[in-house]
Amino acid sequence: MPFKSLSLVGLVLVSSVSLTTHAAEDWSKIEQAAKGQTVYFNAWGGGEAINQYIDWAAEQAKQRYAITVKHVKITDAAEVVKRIQTEQQAGRTSDGSVDLIWVNGENFSALKREQLLYGPWAEQLPNWVNVDTTKPVQQDFSESTDGLEAPWGTAQLTFIADRSKLPTPPDSAAALLVFAKQNPGRVSYPKPPSFHGTTFLKQLLLELNPEASVLGKPVEAEAFAKLTQPLWAYLDELHSVAWQQGKSFPASDAEMHQKLADGELLISLSFNPNEAASLIASKRLPETAYSFGFKKGTIGNVHFLAIPFNAKAKEAAQVFANFLLSPEAQAHKADLKTWGDPSVLLASKLPNQALNPSVLPTDVPTLAEPHASWVEALEKEWIKRYGS
Amino acid sequence: MDSGLSCVAWLGVLLILGLPLLGLVPIFGAGLQASAWQLLWADPQVMPALKLTLFSASLSTILALLLACALVFLFYPAKTWQRLQQQAPIFLAIPHAAFAIGLVFLLAPSGWLVRVVSPVFAWTAPPTGLITTQDPYALSLSLALLLKETWFLLWVLTGLINQQWLMKQSLVAQTLGYTRWQAGWQILFPQLLKPLAWPLLAVFAYGLSVVDMSLILGPSTPPTLAVLAWQWFADPDPSQQLKAQSLALLLIGLLVLGASCAYSLYKLLHTLLARPKGRRKRAYGTFIFKPLVKYLVTLPFWLSLSLLVLWSLADGWFFPQILPANLGLNAWQKAELETLLLTLFIASCSILISLPLALIWLEWGNKHQAYLYLPLIIPALPFTAAQYQIALLLNLDGSLLAVIWSHLAWVLPYMLLVLSGAYQSLDARYLLTAKTLGYKTWQACLYIKWPLLLRPILAACAVGFAVSVAQYLPTLFVGGGRIETISTEAVSLSSGGNRSTLAIQAVLQTLLPLLGFILASGLSRWYARRHPGLN
Repeated sequence: MPFKSLSLVGLVLVSSVSLTTHAAEDWSKIEQAAKGQTVYFNAWGGGEAINQYIDWAAEQAKQRYAITVKHVKITDAAEVVKRIQTEQQAGRTSDGSVDLIWVNGENFSALKREQLLYGPWAEQLPNWVNVDTTKPVQQDFSESTDGLEAPWGTAQLTFIADRSKLPTPPDSAAALLVFAKQNPGRVSYPKPPSFHGTTFLKQLLLELNPEASVLGKPVEAEAFAKLTQPLWAYLDELHSVAWQQGKSFPASDAEMHQKLADGELLISLSFNPNEAASLIASKRLPETAYSFGFKKGTIGNVHFLAIPFNAKAKEAAQVFANFLLSPEAQAHKADLKTWGDPSVLLASKLPNQALNPSVLPTDVPTLAEPHASWVEALEKEWIKRYGS
Repeated sequence: MDSGLSCVAWLGVLLILGLPLLGLVPIFGAGLQASAWQLLWADPQVMPALKLTLFSASLSTILALLLACALVFLFYPAKTWQRLQQQAPIFLAIPHAAFAIGLVFLLAPSGWLVRVVSPVFAWTAPPTGLITTQDPYALSLSLALLLKETWFLLWVLTGLINQQWLMKQSLVAQTLGYTRWQAGWQILFPQLLKPLAWPLLAVFAYGLSVVDMSLILGPSTPPTLAVLAWQWFADPDPSQQLKAQSLALLLIGLLVLGASCAYSLYKLLHTLLARPKGRRKRAYGTFIFKPLVKYLVTLPFWLSLSLLVLWSLADGWFFPQILPANLGLNAWQKAELETLLLTLFIASCSILISLPLALIWLEWGNKHQAYLYLPLIIPALPFTAAQYQIALLLNLDGSLLAVIWSHLAWVLPYMLLVLSGAYQSLDARYLLTAKTLGYKTWQACLYIKWPLLLRPILAACAVGFAVSVAQYLPTLFVGGGRIETISTEAVSLSSGGNRSTLAIQAVLQTLLPLLGFILASGLSRWYARRHPGLN
């Protein structure tokens, strides 16, 4: 009973806040206020193609909306979360250093949990009508976005190989294990709890447990023990024939790509279906590189843009996010020659793109992420079994 | 005057280090809870990681000390020594991470050495049985630390051995029939240990707390403690944060433990060496030993550097090609001049503030200075967060002033580190004589003592400059992302893992400190020529 009344109070509070602030706000007012503001956009700076795309978008924002966008290049969104937390602890409730942040997953849930986000604002954007809501754009790793972040692009687990060394790729987890046994020392995956490593574990878990319904619910000890049993059995077999006998793992997807280029590994993985194409373009992989998925599908999700509670240029941040959601900006982003990040908009809003042989075939189904609570449990058990 | 200067020293140190340390008190308070320690020990990675970390940090520190001293005893002051001196600035200026990347490309199973021999063995793919980098015993990490820190110690040693009394002793020993090698180990080594104590502690601390090198060269199951702390501090999960806080305390504990062990060893060594037997030993095998040592400390650097430069120009480079298929300059065309100038400005301001403060501290401050070195061992993330909190409270976040201030927390300790050995071993009679002739202490320092110490002072400036240039986290945090230096640019671009980009950023990050080191050694040689008999 006390729980219910509390949550009821919470609901009333949330709705009254959103009514008073957002009903009154109208988009042209926001655009007016945004003029002349500077948006400090904190986004991962490790991809040159991405950096160039952000430069392009910043230029457009300057010309169209008189907004200055500064790309703050960071290595990890967790650093920014820490910075916003520090600002809150120091009582900096306005004029924060971050106006817009590129985020998803546990960093979003941490920001949301600690109420460090401004909003809801995302679903009031004029370009929200273009968004394909059949994609998981309102769920970030099973955490409801509540309009606190706007979708920016989609991602799907994609495997990459070199056709000259691997003409027919394994099309399931079982086939991957057979392949690894035939080619000892040539298969690995990024070490969990790195993002890509954990995603690979989730992929195996989903595939080894066809009854996926339990995976969509919060994790329980009994179900965890039962469902992960085949996963550990699989990994025990895989590690015995893996790169460095499974005693060491690459740190990231980038290291996987490098090892694929160096010939130490035969399969790499990415979360961007177009990654292989851009790696070929930057000469980091040979032209014979290509993408593949598993027959029953691979895990996919969405990445987002959020505004911190203490952002200085909240209006300009929304205007810029709205521009990034426009069909023009999304199409430019999806273009393999610029970045190649798949759009979150309805297909009908976008121009048709020519198919490139190096990208993930479109017939690979997208599997939904398991409930977020499985991540930590998986990572913990993995570390316990293989971490030392 | 004296008490005024003492106040200045204390005030400066409090402003630079005291404030952020104060901000750390609640963090470490949480780390002291029993539940945090239980969480930490329950983690299966901690014990093996602890062994690995202690092993690689102590091994590399001890071997770097022996190697640096061996270089002095073998080559000083012959021609080879001068040649080593000329190369030192380059090796000192290469950032640790850049050197690690170069080494990986040299030594990895798909690396350049394997590529060179692969035609002999008819390898069409990298051999799978060979584990040369990221090995489970952290040997490759230890090797990289050893090589890099040898040059740091050698740089400090250069400031020390130019002091006349040391070489006079060596000369006396040689006239009595001892070889230079034996005289070195029996007479110079025990005396050098004392002024080397703080630099050695810094080397050990660096080995304990290094993150970037461990990620590149170290093992991953488990990684070293510093990598675990870094991962946990960045984790939004509060229980991981708690573990990270205890782990930071554990690292400080390990440093104290290491320092006490080293002190006991030092005492033991002094008792053992107190009564030498007086036997003259011939030096055997130096004709093999000399070139071996010489190439061990130079060749890996030159190869790594050349490979980095090649990578920065490579337009596609796959196994088993020994050289890139195509070369191009496209990756180079994106480098920016503005960030370079800003970096130069921040680094110059940092040493301009740190140098006077360091000198005043050494003369009028406290002689027991262990806590000054805390920033070198505390994981950078919580320390930087504490700095940011203060900048926010003072409304100085995002300003150049605050960024310079945040750099001082690392620049000042490193400059003190390089200076204090030479400072304290300077003959006290100079100052005494000056004072009996009527100088006040500050006058004696300004006109007599500090000019005599010009060489170590310049060496300290070069190190301080390099330290400032390399700062990533404080620049990003305290600058609020507003201030871009070559390090923020390099580190964020490097996270994409593109080897060409990495190589360019590494070369750029090497160039600026290199200028500092070359300037420092050029100036000190020029000054020494005009002032013979200088320390």
